[in-house]
Amino acid sequence: MKKNSIAVYICMLVLSLAAVPAFGQADRNQGIIKSALLGLEYEVKAGFNIGGTAPLPLPVEIREITGYNPTMAVAIEGNVTKWFDKERKWGMRIGVRLDNKGMKTDARVKNYGMEIIGDGGEIVKGNWTGHVKTNVKNTYLSFPVLATHQFNSRFSMNLGPYFAYMLDGDFSGNVYDGYLRENDPTGEKVVFEDGKSALYDFSKNIRKFQWGAQLGAEWRAFKHLNVCADLTWGLNDIFQKDFKTITFAMYPIYLNVGFGYAF
Amino acid sequence: MRTTYLITWLLLSITLMSCIRDEAPNAEADILTCVVPADILKRDPVIENNKVTLMVKADIDLAHQSPEFTLTPGATISPASGTERDFTSPQYYTVTSEDGNWKKEYQVSYIIAGISTEYHFEDVDSVVKTNYTYDVFYDLDEATGNRINWASGNAGFALTGMGSDRTSFPTSSTVDGKVGKGVKLETKETGSFGEGFGMPIAAGNLFMGTFDVLSALTNALKATRLGMPFEHVPTYLKGYYKYKAGEVFQENGEPVKNKKDTWDVYAIFYEVTDKVRYLDGTIVEGNYTHPNLVSVALLDDKDRKETDEWTEFYIPFVMKSGKVIDREKLKSGGYNVSIVFSSSKEGNYFRGAPGSTLYIDEVELIYAADN
Repeated sequence: MKKNSIAVYICMLVLSLAAVPAFGQADRNQGIIKSALLGLEYEVKAGFNIGGTAPLPLPVEIREITGYNPTMAVAIEGNVTKWFDKERKWGMRIGVRLDNKGMKTDARVKNYGMEIIGDGGEIVKGNWTGHVKTNVKNTYLSFPVLATHQFNSRFSMNLGPYFAYMLDGDFSGNVYDGYLRENDPTGEKVVFEDGKSALYDFSKNIRKFQWGAQLGAEWRAFKHLNVCADLTWGLNDIFQKDFKTITFAMYPIYLNVGFGYAF
Repeated sequence: MRTTYLITWLLLSITLMSCIRDEAPNAEADILTCVVPADILKRDPVIENNKVTLMVKADIDLAHQSPEFTLTPGATISPASGTERDFTSPQYYTVTSEDGNWKKEYQVSYIIAGISTEYHFEDVDSVVKTNYTYDVFYDLDEATGNRINWASGNAGFALTGMGSDRTSFPTSSTVDGKVGKGVKLETKETGSFGEGFGMPIAAGNLFMGTFDVLSALTNALKATRLGMPFEHVPTYLKGYYKYKAGEVFQENGEPVKNKKDTWDVYAIFYEVTDKVRYLDGTIVEGNYTHPNLVSVALLDDKDRKETDEWTEFYIPFVMKSGKVIDREKLKSGGYNVSIVFSSSKEGNYFRGAPGSTLYIDEVELIYAADN
């Protein structure tokens, strides 16, 4: 189900990318030249998102990070840049990007707000002290709106906000080697040891709408090939406002490293 | 590509590692261990989330005990660890977490390990007369083999002419006990006859002792003669109850607004002397100060609940100050014990709500092991 929907999104994106130049195969070059005369430039990009969905600064509840894996998180983007001046120093770029932002972490925490799923499927709320494994895998459709500056013929940078809509979200994991105090730190102590663990799943509490800031750099390696790095920094909490279990806000902060093809 | 990946990974982990903040003060407020002189303990202290239970030997002086506690690091306890307190009844301690945000109250009880005498209310006799039938409970004490007679006011109620079948009486047997059969006590109206004597209601009651029918109508409190000989020192009274208060509380036959009926159980342990062969219902009037009383077990008001689930009551016998038990006299039957149940707490003054119903079952009288 999830895989299918992602496939559909990718198809949609490819189609919309193809539509951006809006020209048939035959008169493509001509179209590009026309666009170039208008000061428009097109690019498709692909890369990996490496980073984390993390609280900043790290809250006191997190005592140690014992494991981190950025996972295979692919991003595909199509964008168009409009240059305002003849020298092509300043421009504006808008894009559409299918973003996968994921990570796997293993942390040791103390007194960490938690809602575990009990043996009978019941939700047990409380404060967890021990180890927590977290898997995040969110798929966003993002729209960056960026100011672009060309420093020289090879190097440019861009900066601006992005807006994203979550197509699919997963924030789940398990807790092990520790104990839960039911409801609050004075509640009954439920100990998990000898490899016993309990699952948790906050996927349904993730916010659909995300926004943040993006800073990118592009280096023209060949005539059409760019090497790019884009840092996207989420500025609203990934969880819904009324979600109180995790007591601190978490932001998606990812670096996208990849290649672009400029038409 | 691979190098970039690696470098980013390293940078990111370094960034995250470097900003692990200082550890916050502890939020927990636990008693981790409880230390008392080892020679008074019968088994290791049992520490639960808000309760510490110490099983101790019978001969220790409960009134002067100073348990010590270790707590979650940084937490504090009030009263302080090692404070001498009177543990004839459970004492309470408050533990405050290191961060000051959380408090937990612990109940600390010293329990004298003992043997119990159990009452199951399985054995019922019937008193059958032409116009009425009522139940009489007796129980065989497994520890001593004695037959314990439970008395009730049923014989007095019979005089009012309101009684017909066994369930029309305030005290009757029920098949829905906690285990097997149990006791049902229901406050009843006594009709015109009872009203004429200024006794408009009759609470269902059950007690260890005898009921003197002859004085029932003139002085009901004196008619309840409490006590059976008991050769041990009782320490706790335990049992199960269910309770439903009646609709309208009455006093002198008139409804009293905003007053809710409640039930009662108490137990007494007293010395029999030449002048005082038995104690009667009037000890309640004197607020359990009769000089012959050695110890009493009284129910806390917060434990008088209205409930349709079997609920445990567990009441310590509290020694009257200055009382010493004469072991010789104890062995020769010089002390009496009695347990009293009533479906209306003020039923002895004929105040209560008709329909108030108390169920009782599986009562245990726990006593100190004789050593």
